[in-house]
Amino acid sequence: MADALVIKNLNKRFGGLHAVQDVNFRVRENETLGLIGPNGAGKTTAFNLIMGFYRPDTGSVSAFGQEIVGLRPHQVCTLGLARTFQVAKPFGGMTVLANVMTGAFLRDRRPEAAREKAREAIDFVGLSARESAAARDLTTIDQRRLEMARALATQPRLLLLDEVMAGLNPAEIDQAVALVGKLSNRGLTIVIVEHLMRAIMAVAKHIVVLDHGQKIAEGSPKDVVENPEVIRAYLGSGYVHAPAGGPS
Amino acid sequence: MLNIFGWRSAVLGGLIAVMLVLPLVIKSSFALEILIRVLLFSFIGSAWNLMGGYAKQLSLGHAAFFGLGAYTSTLLQIDFGISPWIGMIAGGLVAMLASLPIGWLCFRLRGPYFTIATIATAQVLMLIFLKFRDFAWGAEGTTIPNLGHAPLMMQFETKAPYYYIVLGLLAMALLITAWIERSRIGYYCVAIGEDEDAAEAIGVDAPSVKRKIFMVSAFLTALAGTFYTQYIYFIDPQTAFNFNVSIEAALVSIVGGVGTLWGPVIGTVLLETTSALLQSWLGNSIGGVQLTVYALILMAVILWRPTGIMGYLAEVYARRRIKSLSLPAKA
Amino acid sequence: MLEILAQAVINGLLIGGIYALVSIGVTLIFGVVKIVNFAQGEFVMIGMYISFFLATQFGVDPVVSLVVSMPVLFVIGVLIQHYLIRRVLGLNDLPQIFLTFALSLLIVNLALMLLTANYRTVHTWYSDKVFHVGGLYIPVAKLIAFVLAMILSGLLWTFLHTTDLGKAMRAASQNRDVAQLVGINPNRVFAVALGIALALAGAAGSLLMPFYPAYPLVGQVFVLMAFVAVVLGTLGNVIGALVASLLMGVAESLGIQFIGADSGLIVVFALLLFTLAVRPSGLAGGRRR
Repeated sequence: MADALVIKNLNKRFGGLHAVQDVNFRVRENETLGLIGPNGAGKTTAFNLIMGFYRPDTGSVSAFGQEIVGLRPHQVCTLGLARTFQVAKPFGGMTVLANVMTGAFLRDRRPEAAREKAREAIDFVGLSARESAAARDLTTIDQRRLEMARALATQPRLLLLDEVMAGLNPAEIDQAVALVGKLSNRGLTIVIVEHLMRAIMAVAKHIVVLDHGQKIAEGSPKDVVENPEVIRAYLGSGYVHAPAGGPS
Repeated sequence: MLNIFGWRSAVLGGLIAVMLVLPLVIKSSFALEILIRVLLFSFIGSAWNLMGGYAKQLSLGHAAFFGLGAYTSTLLQIDFGISPWIGMIAGGLVAMLASLPIGWLCFRLRGPYFTIATIATAQVLMLIFLKFRDFAWGAEGTTIPNLGHAPLMMQFETKAPYYYIVLGLLAMALLITAWIERSRIGYYCVAIGEDEDAAEAIGVDAPSVKRKIFMVSAFLTALAGTFYTQYIYFIDPQTAFNFNVSIEAALVSIVGGVGTLWGPVIGTVLLETTSALLQSWLGNSIGGVQLTVYALILMAVILWRPTGIMGYLAEVYARRRIKSLSLPAKA
Repeated sequence: MLEILAQAVINGLLIGGIYALVSIGVTLIFGVVKIVNFAQGEFVMIGMYISFFLATQFGVDPVVSLVVSMPVLFVIGVLIQHYLIRRVLGLNDLPQIFLTFALSLLIVNLALMLLTANYRTVHTWYSDKVFHVGGLYIPVAKLIAFVLAMILSGLLWTFLHTTDLGKAMRAASQNRDVAQLVGINPNRVFAVALGIALALAGAAGSLLMPFYPAYPLVGQVFVLMAFVAVVLGTLGNVIGALVASLLMGVAESLGIQFIGADSGLIVVFALLLFTLAVRPSGLAGGRRR
């Protein structure tokens, strides 16, 4: 299978902070990649770099065979990449439908067609009942659904999900995991940032671990969980010799 | 459902009929003057609203385009004898073109600094026209030769024709706004106004959209400049690039309701009525009264009803609808 | 020739000190409260009228009247923060921009109504005195204004960097959420920021009286200078505002000397547009993205 996303030697500094250091990884088409790491590891920065909100200092990002460094975010989106934001950014004054239509307009400028496509996306995430609600009146979880619907309305081939499951209860997590699975079944390539181990393990067979801006591990969920570097990064060196499954 | 549509169309139809018939019924020149003023500032406010209300690009420098329109048509008229009808369009085009470099410069700043940059732009234009007498009469300005009744040169001896012209301009602005509201660029404008980064992430080319809406806004504002010059038969830099034009353009939209179709109209009616009342009570002797009252109204709106009159009405209507449909207000 | 140049530079620096007081206030408010105070010039105007009143009614020297104008404006600042600004914090740009804009409009026009548009001046015993140094003329009134402006700026800098409240303000300026987490009360910090900024504006007004007329619109000129200096010096950066103000004073003065008497504004605008075009984040700011 071809590569959907190739990240090579990605570097970004903010003043004295080396937020992303020589990061390399690739995502195959239709793969779901889990991007994990402690807070401040550089995951969201990586997303911002991929989408074009920041320009990397050095390195290359290519999506579906095309170099996208230097492109503006809307151009990256037109090529087929979409993202959700860690803290949802709905268009508060617009209705749910209008929010998602704005995304749908990327592929079809006719309002009626956009409305139809928007409704499909809204239905997919389960927000149909709230179609006419003002986005600012939604609960946090519904706002996340809205983010996803809006991103889906742009008909992406690669979806970047930034902590969509934070703060959900177990039932909601299962729903979210099922949703991600459905997206993958439709052929989407997904890069998902999550803190919840069981959620990541359920959706991703390929994991990349970042810490302090550097990639410290990559592999299957099992490999990653047992990797001493990963354990050290999350829990501290005291836990490195603990048997897999948790400290005794 | 059909009932509601019927009701709305009836009101609108009635309003249009009334507006068309008004000058035939009202003979007072003074009353017509007020109406013309209301229509003119509704028009200017609607033009501003496209940029400032929908896309939330809060310009306080629209006088720049007002003045460019005014000077373009006047120069063409006095130097080349070209009809102001053509000059009006030419002025609009000049303003559109000017909005490109002005936008390029000002859009580099966000928020209040964008606003300051727009103020500076209008001021710079005023300074330029004040200083350079060679191409545009300098600080003294010029009067437009009175040709009596000359419809082809946009001059009339009664107020009624002016009324119809500005009514036509307002209707055009409202139609354009209504069309934009329902189209892709309208959604993109509102999205940019709400959250430009989020909009970019879903494929909105924000700089391009801002440029386009700025051009439309500038074009329309320039038309107003031409009209006003023809109406008062006079132009000078202080009048053409007057900061008060920029202020009122923004003010009527904010008070009436930014980002709504009828907001600027309602805002103008309120503010101009207040102004007319003040004038009749206090006369013109005490400087600063009108703007003091405007400032107080603006502060009141911002502190208590930032969505303006239309916004308030929309909320009331939405709450009523939710009650009548027995939907929970929030999940 | 060199003398003319030096004289123009001196003139520019002296008035630049006043610009600095105004622009430091603007940048302080922007840095801490994240709001642009469109009405800053009007508080300079109020300071001027206070000094005018004290001078004509009680014979108080305008510079001395600093001790009245500054506290009065400090209190006004705290009140404005409490009753007005606090209500638009956390809202988006429109209310924030137009609130202070409306305030500016209100104060100017109230002044027009109540005080009339007449120019008011105060003539002190040193208003016309000039120091002769080398071949240069240094007006005493302007020198006093400059020195006091620098002293006040220095006091502010010390306050920001040595006192707890000052550090709290800098913290809130850099990261409001974290500042709250460590127990800094944002409203208190904002109130002090407003108070200080307005006090500085009032000081500028008092210092201006010996050599500048007071009239309702006088603030508009200074606030324009202030805004350009703030952008040039990087938003929120106090030292940047100070340096940029001095630079602008010099630029304006050179423009008046070498281009023409009314070219001051054009030079200022040219500077602004140039900054916007080339380096919108100001002299100390980083690059966007």
